[in-house]
Amino acid sequence: MQEKEQIIEIKYLTKFYKGSNVPAIDNISLNINKGEIYGLLGPNGAGKTTTISILCGLFGPTSGSVFIDGMEYQNSADKIKSIIGVVPQEIALYPSLTAKENLTFFGHMYGLKGKELKNRIKECLELFGLEKNANRRIKTFSGGMKRRINIIAGILHKPKIIYLDEPTVGVDVQSRNVILEHLKKINEEGTTIIYTSHYMEEAENFCSRVAIIDKGNILTEGKPKDLINSKEEYSDLESIFLHITGRALRDE
Amino acid sequence: MQRLFSSIYKEFLVLIRDRAGLAILFIMPLVLILIMTLIQDASFRSVKEVNISMILVNNDNDSLGQAITDGLYESEFFQIVEKIDGKKITEEQAKELVATGDYKIGIIIPERATDAIRGNVKALINKSFKTFKVPGVKKRTKKSTIDVTIYIDPATSQSFKNSVMSSLKEFTSQLEIEMFFKNFSEALAQLMPDQKPIKFESFETIKYKEVYASTTQDEIMPNSVQHNVPAWTMFAMFFIVLPLAGNIIKERDDGSAFRLKTMPGSFVTIMFSKIFVFLGVAFLQFILMLLVGVYIMPLMGLPQLEIGPHKIALGVMAISSGLAATGYGVALGTIATTHEQAATFGAVSIIIFAALGGIWVPVYVMPHTIRIISQFSPLHWGLNGFYDIFLRGGDLMVVLAETAKLLLFFVFMLLIAVVYNNYNKTK
Repeated sequence: MQEKEQIIEIKYLTKFYKGSNVPAIDNISLNINKGEIYGLLGPNGAGKTTTISILCGLFGPTSGSVFIDGMEYQNSADKIKSIIGVVPQEIALYPSLTAKENLTFFGHMYGLKGKELKNRIKECLELFGLEKNANRRIKTFSGGMKRRINIIAGILHKPKIIYLDEPTVGVDVQSRNVILEHLKKINEEGTTIIYTSHYMEEAENFCSRVAIIDKGNILTEGKPKDLINSKEEYSDLESIFLHITGRALRDE
Repeated sequence: MQRLFSSIYKEFLVLIRDRAGLAILFIMPLVLILIMTLIQDASFRSVKEVNISMILVNNDNDSLGQAITDGLYESEFFQIVEKIDGKKITEEQAKELVATGDYKIGIIIPERATDAIRGNVKALINKSFKTFKVPGVKKRTKKSTIDVTIYIDPATSQSFKNSVMSSLKEFTSQLEIEMFFKNFSEALAQLMPDQKPIKFESFETIKYKEVYASTTQDEIMPNSVQHNVPAWTMFAMFFIVLPLAGNIIKERDDGSAFRLKTMPGSFVTIMFSKIFVFLGVAFLQFILMLLVGVYIMPLMGLPQLEIGPHKIALGVMAISSGLAATGYGVALGTIATTHEQAATFGAVSIIIFAALGGIWVPVYVMPHTIRIISQFSPLHWGLNGFYDIFLRGGDLMVVLAETAKLLLFFVFMLLIAVVYNNYNKTK
């Protein structure tokens, strides 16, 4: 059997924020293969954002190491940043600029230019059904349209890895379907997706593998179907989630 | 380079799309400079031009009262009010009118004040001539005091009070000299009846010539506009700190900064694009404020701003000041976590820098310790540089030290921002 090629390798990763003696993530290790849709699931404060932030190069870990496509941030920050695409939970766009202006700016930041950038913007806008709104300012867009542009800004440069932080939060069912459908398409073209969400049903259908993390530790990891079939009392991903993270309310 | 240019273009678009913000950026400094120059103009004009109303109660009705009244009218320093509703003002009324702030000053010349002066002069002469036993000269040697009461509104400035007092002293001393001379010549006539009487003539032996020192051949006339335009331009340019810091915080709040941090390229590239655009705004503000000084202020009765021959020095000073201001804005925007923090700290710190810099009160009249502290205010360096050009006719070489200090301040602020940004990554 051919071994799958790893694109992300996390080894014994620990992060303590300054002034805190509780680790945000505690000695976690995981491997993500090329072409996977990997779901990081967990309640608020579980360590998802810290993990994603380290994977994006926003800050370094207290200990442990991260290899992205065989590279480390310490030596190859710009190279890694050019092969990743980040879709934050917030609509990280300039509201007073048009969709096209926003995408042109972010495209330039990724090093795209000229006809290549123009064609890519056109292609992405068509893919997400926004071609007619290219010259409208973001502040005039609906929530769903903003979410779609937010995603386009992260995938414009055809990254090898996309980090999606709650990409469908606050959007209607139609927009959610369009978003997930197109993300699947992008994944089928070979892009690895790291995805966080609170929507367990969505994660169950969308992800090829998931890790449920809480209090900085990975509690369980595997294919959603395998996890559901692992115990009789598990009916879906949500039941596993509630079983292993508990029903108590969580603060941020 | 593409990243820098694209970032500059994006900043430019964001700026011009915010019409209200843009209007505030350009209109507020112009309003500030016009109002402040108009207000400050009064203190630069002579007391004569200001023409302040003053109450005069002359109860003497003799030479002293007449001399003071004539002197005050002739000086044209003040608008003299002796009657209200056709009735002569009493001392009590005068006191009340000044106490209520209706008039800044009230002068009360007491009854028989002239007689008292005459008596004093005669007593002095008698004392001098008593050895000669001049016939007809009484033996009176006792002096009496004359109290000219001056009621002053407590809100009156010290400098105005001083100028009134010195005017009054000038009028009374002139009268005293005249009386002394007259009585002296009368006494002399009694001693030497054959001599023609001497006529009193006032004359000035010392004249004062005022020349404003300048390093150029052309004498630059200091006036409210020459002083205030550079001072308030400097102050207004520094307020670019607030929108710039706000821009950085907004980008962080709405997540764009997060996205940018995950992209290739450095923090410095992003910050340089902001500096470039906001420096452009500051420079444009500077040009507009100069144009207001040259073309608008004369229409409002103010003197015209003289730009002088050293335009390159002026441009270099404007760019250095703009860089110092934008550098400060970048540091503030990077460190402050909320708009409220940036707005409050930014505004108050600029006012402190301005106060220390001598925008309101000249540095040379400040206490020693404050004078030392003021040497570290970027607004002090900027103001000094602009005064060198606008008032002392200085060229590029003259303002080189100030320019260097402003540029060093810019670099230092940028370093603070970079270090803080890197420190944040290790949190």
